[in-house]
Amino acid sequence: MKRPLYEASTQYKNWRYSPERLSQIRTTMNEAAVGVIRKTFEAYEPGSSSNVSFVNAHEEHLLVTFYVHKISQLCGHFRFPEEVEATATSYLKRFYLKNTVMDWHPKNVMLTALFLATKTTNNPISLDAYASHIPNTVASDVLDLEFLVSQSLAFEFAVWHAHRALWGIWLDIQNLPDSPPDIAQTQSSIYDSALGHVRAARLTDAEFIYTPSQIALACISLVAPALAKKWLESKANITIPENQTDIPPRPSAAALSASIEAIESIITETGKVPNVEAVREVDRRLRTCKNPEKVVGTKAYLARKAEAEKKAEEKRNKKAEGQKTNGAGDVDPFGDPLAEPVKPGLVDYDDDDDDD
Amino acid sequence: MATKSNYGWLQGRTVRKGGHASSNSHTRSNTPQVQSTSTTIFGGGIKDPSGRTSEYFSMDDQCPVCKSDRYLNPKLRLLVSSCYHKMCESCIDRLFTLGPASCPNCDKILRKLAFSPQTFEDLGVEKEVAVRRRIAKEFNKRLEDFDDLRSYNDYLEEVEDIAFNLINNIDIPATEERIAAYKAANAALTSLNLQREEAEALALKEQEDLERREREARAAQLAQQEQQEREERQREERELIDKLETSQKDAHKIVAKSRIAAAKRSSARAASSSANSSLLGMSFGMDYAKLLKTRTTKVNNVPDEPHVPFLDDYYAYDDLYTVRAEGYDDIISEAVRRDREGIMRAGGYKVEEAWNRALLTAVAGLDAAPLSGLDEPNSLGDVDVVMESV
Repeated sequence: MKRPLYEASTQYKNWRYSPERLSQIRTTMNEAAVGVIRKTFEAYEPGSSSNVSFVNAHEEHLLVTFYVHKISQLCGHFRFPEEVEATATSYLKRFYLKNTVMDWHPKNVMLTALFLATKTTNNPISLDAYASHIPNTVASDVLDLEFLVSQSLAFEFAVWHAHRALWGIWLDIQNLPDSPPDIAQTQSSIYDSALGHVRAARLTDAEFIYTPSQIALACISLVAPALAKKWLESKANITIPENQTDIPPRPSAAALSASIEAIESIITETGKVPNVEAVREVDRRLRTCKNPEKVVGTKAYLARKAEAEKKAEEKRNKKAEGQKTNGAGDVDPFGDPLAEPVKPGLVDYDDDDDDD
Repeated sequence: MATKSNYGWLQGRTVRKGGHASSNSHTRSNTPQVQSTSTTIFGGGIKDPSGRTSEYFSMDDQCPVCKSDRYLNPKLRLLVSSCYHKMCESCIDRLFTLGPASCPNCDKILRKLAFSPQTFEDLGVEKEVAVRRRIAKEFNKRLEDFDDLRSYNDYLEEVEDIAFNLINNIDIPATEERIAAYKAANAALTSLNLQREEAEALALKEQEDLERREREARAAQLAQQEQQEREERQREERELIDKLETSQKDAHKIVAKSRIAAAKRSSARAASSSANSSLLGMSFGMDYAKLLKTRTTKVNNVPDEPHVPFLDDYYAYDDLYTVRAEGYDDIISEAVRRDREGIMRAGGYKVEEAWNRALLTAVAGLDAAPLSGLDEPNSLGDVDVVMESV
């Protein structure tokens, strides 16, 4: 059996979760982070953590969702293509599956994720131009987090997008046997509102659970259920040639309907920009419960920095020590003497002067 | 160069122009004819028949013995002793005409004949070249003269050792002894190799001669062709004028007729000359091809297998969709398709490929069932790694 191409993507392999798993990841990470930060608080000022109200996993997610929305605003300002926006939102969401907002504030990570997305999608913009268009930001703010973000993404920069799948479906609808030839023009409102749903889906967890093609199909189905059904059936009805027995079965409308419905409900229920007041409240509380090791100027920050410095120093010393001991030993810097004479004829040392 | 020529002109001497006009001021291609008796003795120190190297010459030259410099004596010529000290010709005349005497710098006994012109600015290089030239004459064994590569390398090492000692004046007597011993032991082989080298040099020269002759022949042929062409054209013109004079016919017709005839002739000529030149080129090209062939057979034969980057065999959904040949009514790609000058497609963008990718994405993973439950490999381990490393 041949493997479908999509299953080779890192998106399928490493960034696909069940809904239960998603919420579990978020809660465990939040709990772990709270534990660590509480300990840090206690280490410097015992008893200080008792009246800190930490943000919970749901509030973290709310904040991230809000900054996903901010990315699309920023993209509109820069006139970036759809692909940059979609990629940047994926990066931001993926980043916060591995990190907590209490360590890294999304308002900073968002800028880096967007800048990274311009590069990975081949829409480059100069860093200075980018930073100068964003208030209170300098180039180093964007660059400092770049490696951290890349590392959290496990350097898997390629993302499959629902908006491209939507475009593909829209093109393919023109190929349906009984569709009017000018369907793309007369029905263009379907495409436009479906694209609106795709954008709303970016605010949700749909991309972690379903494939881009399923999300796109659900978005069309939200606008024109009959059309979506017709297209899916046309795909399901393509007969498999007899000489090709090693390909997977056709997508079946029956099996897909549950997924489509689930995506539809996700989009309609959670595909909204969070309430600004609620976000502001979370952000206010976040200021008090930030990881002190990550806030410049605090005691914990300085202590951690000193510790890191010490470790680096130790490493350097160890390296120098290693070199010294190596050098002192009786090891020939040019390697061991030749083991045995090389037999002639193995290598052709004839130069051009003597052609005999 | 200019200053020197001027001197010659002022003194009413004819200055011989060098083989190449573009030598820099630090070398002189034509040594000024010094009016000392010793010129004939010292002349021809540079052993380069091609004349590409020339005697070293500098405007700051100063004789270390008598301190006269080029300003005082424009004809100053410094020569190098066998102990690698410089001296001007008049000093050499003064010191060594009456027989061998000691060097003013190092007290080594020198003779007048042992002085030679300087080729390199750095006398260290001068010495090294001389030593190596001498060594190369004596130690001319080849790889074939040895049983294995190891012993050949040992031999090379020894030669290098001797050369180094001689250049840096280390243990000279012992080194000379080594050379003498080697000479005695390998006299026959050395002379044989010398003969071989001479034969090779001769063969190389013959080859070069052959190529040169071939080039000359081709150039001569070309010149001849051109000459022929010119003559023919002149003849045609004359004929035409004669005809116009004598004939009663319409002048336009005559001109047109002769033009056609001329065009025919020139095309025939071009064809024959191209055939000729291709014949010439072929003989040369064949030689070259033969040479190449022998070269390539010498290099061991590596099988040329095509490189296969990926060996996996994915299902790319290619039977689930087809890109419409007549294109789509598509607002997204409209700007690109309307772009007549192809500015947007300059980088190789093809709208068909963009459509293909969109269609592929539309059907990719349609049947993939969503995951459910918590039974999947724990990937939470990365979190600590990331947080730890920052």
